[in-house]
Amino acid sequence: MINSIIRYTVIFVILLFLQVLLFNNIQFSGYINPYVYIMLILLLPVEIPSWLLLIICFFSGLTVDFFNGTPGIHTSATVFSGFIRPYVLRLISPRDGYEAGAIPAMAVYGLRWFMFYSGVIVFAHHLVLFYMEVFRFTDFFGTLLRVILSSIFSTIFIILAEYYRSGR
Amino acid sequence: MRNLLNFLARYNNLIIFLLLEGIAIYLAVEGNDYHNIRLAKGIRLMTLGVEKNIAKTKTYLNLYSVNSKVAQENIDLRNRIEKMNKSDGNHFISFADSINNQQYTYTSAEIINNSTNRQKNFFTINKGKNQGIDVDMAVISPDGVAGIIVSSSTNFSVGMSLLNIDFHLSARIKSNGFFGSVTWDGRDYRFAYLNEIPLHVLINKGDTIITTGYSSIFPKGIMVGIIDSYEKAGGDFYKIRILLATDFRKINYVSVAGNLRKTEQAELEKQYK
Repeated sequence: MINSIIRYTVIFVILLFLQVLLFNNIQFSGYINPYVYIMLILLLPVEIPSWLLLIICFFSGLTVDFFNGTPGIHTSATVFSGFIRPYVLRLISPRDGYEAGAIPAMAVYGLRWFMFYSGVIVFAHHLVLFYMEVFRFTDFFGTLLRVILSSIFSTIFIILAEYYRSGR
Repeated sequence: MRNLLNFLARYNNLIIFLLLEGIAIYLAVEGNDYHNIRLAKGIRLMTLGVEKNIAKTKTYLNLYSVNSKVAQENIDLRNRIEKMNKSDGNHFISFADSINNQQYTYTSAEIINNSTNRQKNFFTINKGKNQGIDVDMAVISPDGVAGIIVSSSTNFSVGMSLLNIDFHLSARIKSNGFFGSVTWDGRDYRFAYLNEIPLHVLINKGDTIITTGYSSIFPKGIMVGIIDSYEKAGGDFYKIRILLATDFRKINYVSVAGNLRKTEQAELEKQYK
């Protein structure tokens, strides 16, 4: 228990540093702004109680908001992705269900499964995030394009990071 | 009572979600207001330590280009002093006379946090109320317009960057004097748009765009950028794409201009609104 708390804290700190120092500085045609810290929420254990999941989402989003100077925007996006995560997991559960204490990692369930899982949650997160950020519906499709392109890049990074994590 | 407990147990998930999401949206709405970013300010001050260190490293990496810019600015200023000394010889009041004619005061500052990849970009500078910085002052980089101060604490201020979809600036084409408003569309950090220029106006690529000074925030004649391309927008107006003079990815040192006669102008104009 204590062990996993420390492990997830370390993961979160690393992701936060990557986000603030590296990914916040990526400027690619104005359409691609990857947000990779969402990986923390992807990697939490399957059986985590949903109230705990939502609270972790809330505080991790709030921390990212602190560093970005954008009150509430990241928080609302992470809380939303935390809300849909159990439904996504149930939708793509393996035939004989999840094992006790399982972590939704690529090393366990394979690339295709993880790609779908991370893709859906990252897309939901970016959708809320980018529309909350502009806070208007003018140029609706411009924002949608930004959501789609950024989701693709975030997902690619998360899958690469999973390869690194499982290879270690 | 039992039904209520059952209900809560069954939907506790949804209830927590709605509660947390509600808090988040409240924070976002409260913090999104143009002049009301107290929250953003409070939040920024908490992470200032980290941001300062990041900024220090970035500044160090940029020293070469900063140096050459400072040298260029020195030359410009020296030229100006030269001109002033000459005009002092005849017995008129000098244009730069601090008692008779000064309308703007300038303070130099360093940007310690900046972003260009969001829809609403803000930056933080290392001077605040103690150094005379206040809300609604203009921020000008060595190359041109950079933004407006939207809130300031004792030693720091947060400015709204020109790269913010809420930013509006009154600007004119230098060659023929027609003016419109400059906005950013949220895409490319190098380009902004000048709107409301009527179709009969002759436009040339490469023409200079400067500020008008109508808003009483920006001084007159500050460089905004040059015309990159233009097209007919709907209606009778051109939509002109401007290559911005300021490179927001490199911006480091800025000067903040405060208008000494802003209150006077605002009060006079208030009578007709």
